[in-house]
Amino acid sequence: MTRLAPVAISGLGCLSGAGMNLAENLETLFAGRRYPRPPVRFSTDHPVSYPVLELRSEFTLPLDEQELTYARTSQLALAAALEALADAGLEAMELQKKRVGVCIGTTVGCALNCDDFYRDYKAGSMPELAIIERFLRSNPAAVIARHLQLDGPVQTVVNACSSGSDAIGLGASWLRAGACDLVIAGGADELSRVTYAGFSSLMITDTGPCRPFDVRRKGLNLGEGAGMMILQKSEDAGPQRERGRVLGYGAACDAHHLTAPRPDGAGLKQALREAFAGAGATPAQMAFVNAHGTGTPDNDRTEGRVLREVLPGVPYLSTKGYTGHTLGAAGAIEAVYTVACLNRGEVPASIGFVDVDPEIPVPPVIANTAIGGDMALSQSLAFGGNNAVLILGKGGRR
Amino acid sequence: MAVNIQGIGAVGGFGCGVEALRNALRQGSVPPRQVTLEHPGEAGEEFPAYLAATGELERFIPKRELRRIDHFSKMTLLGACLALEDAALLDGDRSRIGVVVASGYGPLKTTFSFLDSYLDFGYSCSSPTHFSNSVHNAAAAHVAMQLKLTAPNLTVTQFDMSVPSALMTALQWLAEDRVDQVLFGAVDEYCAVLRYCRRQFFGAGEQGPLAPLELARQTAVVGEGAAFFVLARPESAAAYGRIDGVCLGNHQRRPVRLPETDGLIVGADGHHRCGVWYQQVITGRQVAACAPVYGSFPAAAAFDLAVAALALRDGNLTVDEPPGGDGQAVDVSRLACLKFAAGGEYGLIRLSR
Repeated sequence: MTRLAPVAISGLGCLSGAGMNLAENLETLFAGRRYPRPPVRFSTDHPVSYPVLELRSEFTLPLDEQELTYARTSQLALAAALEALADAGLEAMELQKKRVGVCIGTTVGCALNCDDFYRDYKAGSMPELAIIERFLRSNPAAVIARHLQLDGPVQTVVNACSSGSDAIGLGASWLRAGACDLVIAGGADELSRVTYAGFSSLMITDTGPCRPFDVRRKGLNLGEGAGMMILQKSEDAGPQRERGRVLGYGAACDAHHLTAPRPDGAGLKQALREAFAGAGATPAQMAFVNAHGTGTPDNDRTEGRVLREVLPGVPYLSTKGYTGHTLGAAGAIEAVYTVACLNRGEVPASIGFVDVDPEIPVPPVIANTAIGGDMALSQSLAFGGNNAVLILGKGGRR
Repeated sequence: MAVNIQGIGAVGGFGCGVEALRNALRQGSVPPRQVTLEHPGEAGEEFPAYLAATGELERFIPKRELRRIDHFSKMTLLGACLALEDAALLDGDRSRIGVVVASGYGPLKTTFSFLDSYLDFGYSCSSPTHFSNSVHNAAAAHVAMQLKLTAPNLTVTQFDMSVPSALMTALQWLAEDRVDQVLFGAVDEYCAVLRYCRRQFFGAGEQGPLAPLELARQTAVVGEGAAFFVLARPESAAAYGRIDGVCLGNHQRRPVRLPETDGLIVGADGHHRCGVWYQQVITGRQVAACAPVYGSFPAAAAFDLAVAALALRDGNLTVDEPPGGDGQAVDVSRLACLKFAAGGEYGLIRLSR
């Protein structure tokens, strides 16, 4: 892996259970608040009600009649993309003069999880195809490209929970390769009855608010949201427009298990090595690590061990307690937080953590903590054994 | 950066392996299987479909290991194993082989099997096995686990643009030296719900025969299968020529520019909504359209790529002028594969000997 040219981040956008835009998200994080509750948007007959972190208010977008029928995941993606474009000071018309790519990670947004349609189909009736048509119109990357009338490459990354991180890393690669002038990259996922049932079946959801890295952690809380970045070549963005930088991206596969991380963290370590090599950076240069930290026993054990071994002494945190696990959006939301925290010079407390796990001897940050340095790391571990690591840099614009 | 094609693996309605594909191409078409529908609204009705058999996978992976692997992942695994075998990479160090999988719809049958588990028995009986295999990247994960591939692993879904979009990333991984080779491929599967939807969308228009160059008519016949390639940097040996580049865009906003001298393989597959775009750019031009060999499904764009690679190796390609004809073989040293989606999105892959 050779050293890669840095890519400028000229805009950030984010919405989640912690807030409807990046500013609200940061306010929630640094105030130490979180809002897990039983799902409101759907119901099940499951005997246990697992808390989730849904968006706490509705959002409105400037959409025409047909666009309003897009799936929620795509609308979340679009909302965060529009915020990021505004943050970058870019108008839609301006984009149409450029070759703009869209690279978006998702899990729910690509799946034909149309259980109402399927229930009717199974019952022998002839259900109408409105839900299917909606699905076919709602590929998240295509929705953004269509809404903004873009004509560059479009890609929806479906690497489970590392999708958002991968999409940002790949989007940066497109710019370096000269395939685009600008890339809208990130991730989006809505809360869904199907994933709620699926994660419950795997018995990795907590019945209370999640507790990443805590000795009594029992599992994750699902969440929803989107995180987006506007990526440009550094020379195009100019230092005064840079909110941050993508410096390195590493990815590797455990090749071990469909849903559990490899206990020795070999895949994560390989992804870290690749990210450091691409960035031309060392672990000691990292101001902090925004860990995947889902709150599941297996994930946090593996991640905690690797952090101690590869990044000793570097403060780390999980923001899943504030947002829940937003699946394909998680890596992107956390990358956005990472850049914002670098620029702010502090990280929030890793909410939910109370007591040290003897298997993870170094605890995450437990209070809002000032940080120095101009680089930080955001990492994602995913079903399928995927590991993705982003090394991000501070920007000239705060 | 151009990349070399070192191996191909393909399984579909034409059979299994490169020779089966080559034989089918010589014949020009393959008769699809007749499948009987079981849905009450259509019970007893027969329709054609190009379906893939995965029995040969047991040549590569012990049967016991395949027990909990669904049809979608088996097709993926078989395509991957055949490509690695063709490139003589089944043995030895595979730690620097990345995996990129494209799929238009993902594992449909397992997605619905998971819904079955809770619709039939309640949410507390949701199947964890079906859920974990319904995630889109499960097939790529099975490839990594079975073949011990620990390099980067990516799954992309973009409906009809899945193949060119994913290929772009595969080429970029090689350019950035993230990997030495990429096992790149595409897969889609048939399922009864898909057939129901197509029946509702297109009525009786999918009874065959598939006439890809009758661009204004709906003649698509549903198919399934997997096509994989071992791609490597240009300094490596090329068994099937090379991919010079891939370009994606939207024809409505910036019209596609076709190379004038290259042979052209079009992904026209009997969908009239896509046919209108082909009509705009290929009128008066001789092209190859091979969907009657493998059927209509998003991942079939990877079969077009396999056809191009075989044509470059063999030095000739059979082409027609729309709306079809007897076909004539022409010499080829440069080729392009063009795929349109219904909205005018396109992917153009250029290859050379």
